[in-house]
Amino acid sequence: MSTSAKIKRLDQRPMKDAILSKNKFRFLGLTLDDFIKYFFQGNAMIAIVVLALITISLFSSGIWFIPQNYQNLVVYRQAGLEYVDYLRQEIDDHTALTRYLSNLRLQQMQLLLKEGKSPEEAQTALAPLDAFIAAYGDAATPLNDMLSEQTDIASAIKDKHNSQQEELHGRELLLKAGKKEEAAALQVEPIDFKASVQPLLDMRDAYIEANGIFAETLSNLIFHPPRMVSRSLQPKMDRFRELSRTYLIELPKYEDQILNWEQFKPIPKYKAVTSFLFGRQWLTASFWQDWYGIIPLLVGSLTVSFVALVIAIPFGVGAAIYINQIASPTEQNLIKPYIEFISAIPSVVLGFFGIAVLGQSMRWLSQQEWLAWVPGFPIQERLNIFTAGALLALMAVPTIFTLTEDAINNVPRAFKEASYALGATRLQTILKIMIPASLSGIISAVLLGLGRVVGETMVVLLCAGGRIEIPDFTQGLGAFFQPVHTMTGIIAQEMGEVVQGSIHFHALFMVGIILFLLSLVINYLAQQVVHKYKISIG
Amino acid sequence: MNENAPAVKPHHTVNYMSESQASESARPSETLAIEPEHHKRARTLIDIEHVDFFYGKSHALHDINLKIKEKLVTAFIGPSGCGKSTLLRCLNRMNDLIDGTRVANGAIKIHGVDIYNPDVDVIELRKRVGMVFQKSNPFPKSIYENIVYGLRLQGINNKSRLDEVVERSLRGAALWEEVRDRLHDSALGLSGGQQQRLCIARAIAVEPEIILMDEPCSALDPIATAKVEELIHELKKDYTIVIVTHNMQQAGRCSDMTAFFYLGKLIEFDATEKIFTNPSQKQTEDYITGRFG
Repeated sequence: MSTSAKIKRLDQRPMKDAILSKNKFRFLGLTLDDFIKYFFQGNAMIAIVVLALITISLFSSGIWFIPQNYQNLVVYRQAGLEYVDYLRQEIDDHTALTRYLSNLRLQQMQLLLKEGKSPEEAQTALAPLDAFIAAYGDAATPLNDMLSEQTDIASAIKDKHNSQQEELHGRELLLKAGKKEEAAALQVEPIDFKASVQPLLDMRDAYIEANGIFAETLSNLIFHPPRMVSRSLQPKMDRFRELSRTYLIELPKYEDQILNWEQFKPIPKYKAVTSFLFGRQWLTASFWQDWYGIIPLLVGSLTVSFVALVIAIPFGVGAAIYINQIASPTEQNLIKPYIEFISAIPSVVLGFFGIAVLGQSMRWLSQQEWLAWVPGFPIQERLNIFTAGALLALMAVPTIFTLTEDAINNVPRAFKEASYALGATRLQTILKIMIPASLSGIISAVLLGLGRVVGETMVVLLCAGGRIEIPDFTQGLGAFFQPVHTMTGIIAQEMGEVVQGSIHFHALFMVGIILFLLSLVINYLAQQVVHKYKISIG
Repeated sequence: MNENAPAVKPHHTVNYMSESQASESARPSETLAIEPEHHKRARTLIDIEHVDFFYGKSHALHDINLKIKEKLVTAFIGPSGCGKSTLLRCLNRMNDLIDGTRVANGAIKIHGVDIYNPDVDVIELRKRVGMVFQKSNPFPKSIYENIVYGLRLQGINNKSRLDEVVERSLRGAALWEEVRDRLHDSALGLSGGQQQRLCIARAIAVEPEIILMDEPCSALDPIATAKVEELIHELKKDYTIVIVTHNMQQAGRCSDMTAFFYLGKLIEFDATEKIFTNPSQKQTEDYITGRFG
């Protein structure tokens, strides 16, 4: 301490006093440090708790879908709807064949008109074909009549069941409210499925007879199909014959299904889940039977996201490479904020732009003669997978751009210098060193971009077209110009108008769960890629 | 080049600890009786004339004049920030990669051609003037791919040719025996010293004339350092080497000529022996004896 005369300390106390003078301030037995610690700890905890709550509520609501859907399937069978649908399937397949013929006629007509025939001449030339089409279609009339009769019976049974369920529910509510007398007064007649369905089963004999005539008529018809006027269309006619023949061969299958139908055959429990996960129909509020199959929505979401990524990856990654490696500082300062600004555009504005500008101009473009070679052109709907995908790409570009740029930035400068020092050009350095070294970062950037795109709602709701159907992939790339509906879109659209607690309500939660899991997997993959392939430096 | 080559060749074969005595006896005495004499006779390869260099507004090099002789090792020494690395990086225009740098005055001529002339193809220049960096920087690829990178850039993909170059370069960098069994393993699995020798092998694979080394041993332990120094001696046979070093002993051990820089100026340039035994400038002597820096 003797030398300290020269040193002017701020704290003049002797060391012993200074180090023992711990701040004794306490409130509720906690020091200031404790308060700060608990404050931040609390904030972190709240985030976790909220996330957990969201997850729990999602799952606890969604889980009710499974028993409800099971009940839905049981009623479908026991009320005879399933039985009727076998016949419906048979007729639908026949209708599809008739539609094929009508299309063929349309093509023939257009061809004739193009050849310079007058409409009257063309009509005359088509007369045999018309007669054939009419006969082919009419062959199913007796079956059709039978179907509508059966439909009426089955839906009456289902309606009765539904109203009975509602009454039961009402009685429960009354009991809960303590109004026992009123509950007792409410007589609920149990429905006898077996007796109700009997009239349907009684029609079997008539069906077999009608089906026999139907098959005979068809086979007679396709034995002598009319020749097409234009030779170029003949292969299509031959193809029709082939399809018809297959249909005829398969007719007994429908018959078997109808004859061997068992009303009380138990439905396996897993069907309640698989009919959702692999169901190809999402049909709600129908007079007949509601189907909650996620496939059309999932395929819609995935195709839209796929288009978005295909467009966004080259733009995002390319822009990042340009900005990071090639652009001058002035360009960097100009372009970087500009791209990042895109993410500030509200998605509803983008959707608006998509409908008003992109969709319109796409349709106009698709009608141009010189673009006729593009698959799917001219497009039927201006709002389709491509429109939505293109807009989503715009939303994914900033994410992909920013993260890719970070990844490239993280490549050690030494790699770049070493490459240049070996006589590499800028392009060679970028392609052979920078991109491979930052590939994991780029992949995770793309995955996070995908996560953003899959979860996006407004744009797809406005611009994807809203048709709940699996796109017809037999059209090849043209499938990307068909309208779809997506998982996010369906939740946003239907959640508002659905009855709370209904099967539909819970089905939407199930869609939410699938969406949640999908995003989770994507984000997890993104993290894994970064972890696993992180380049070790030096 | 050819007339001087035999005169220089015997030089590196001897043990560098007793360099001057041994080389005198090994050489025809009438041509190169005194060590510095042969340095003077070696042909000038790099001619640095009145070079001023700027990083943006900061004046990093002031009027540098230096003649670097062919097939000798020239060491740049000096305290940190004196501009020795900057000058080195000017020799293959690596400074071009840094925004706002420029050579304001003077010229750097290699084989008489000013390398800052707009007609110069920088890519070709860098193929001829290789570089080894302070921190070993193998690419995150296999050992093999690291070596052949420069050749692949030039479109050479012939397997047997590449194999040959890999072996020759790795032998040249005294690494062949250590890695011959794992050529296709990642280069990042090598030790620091091996990585640095790999970088040297990678540099010589493209057969440059000049190799620039920017403190190649500063991140290595003494044993790895000794190996690299030994290698420098070997390489002198075929290449002109310019080495930047902070390690005075290293400069003394492996260089023929030494340039001392201080605050962006070249203070003294002479034969290494002279610089270390009898420097003509006071500053050089102070630095070498460890009085500052």
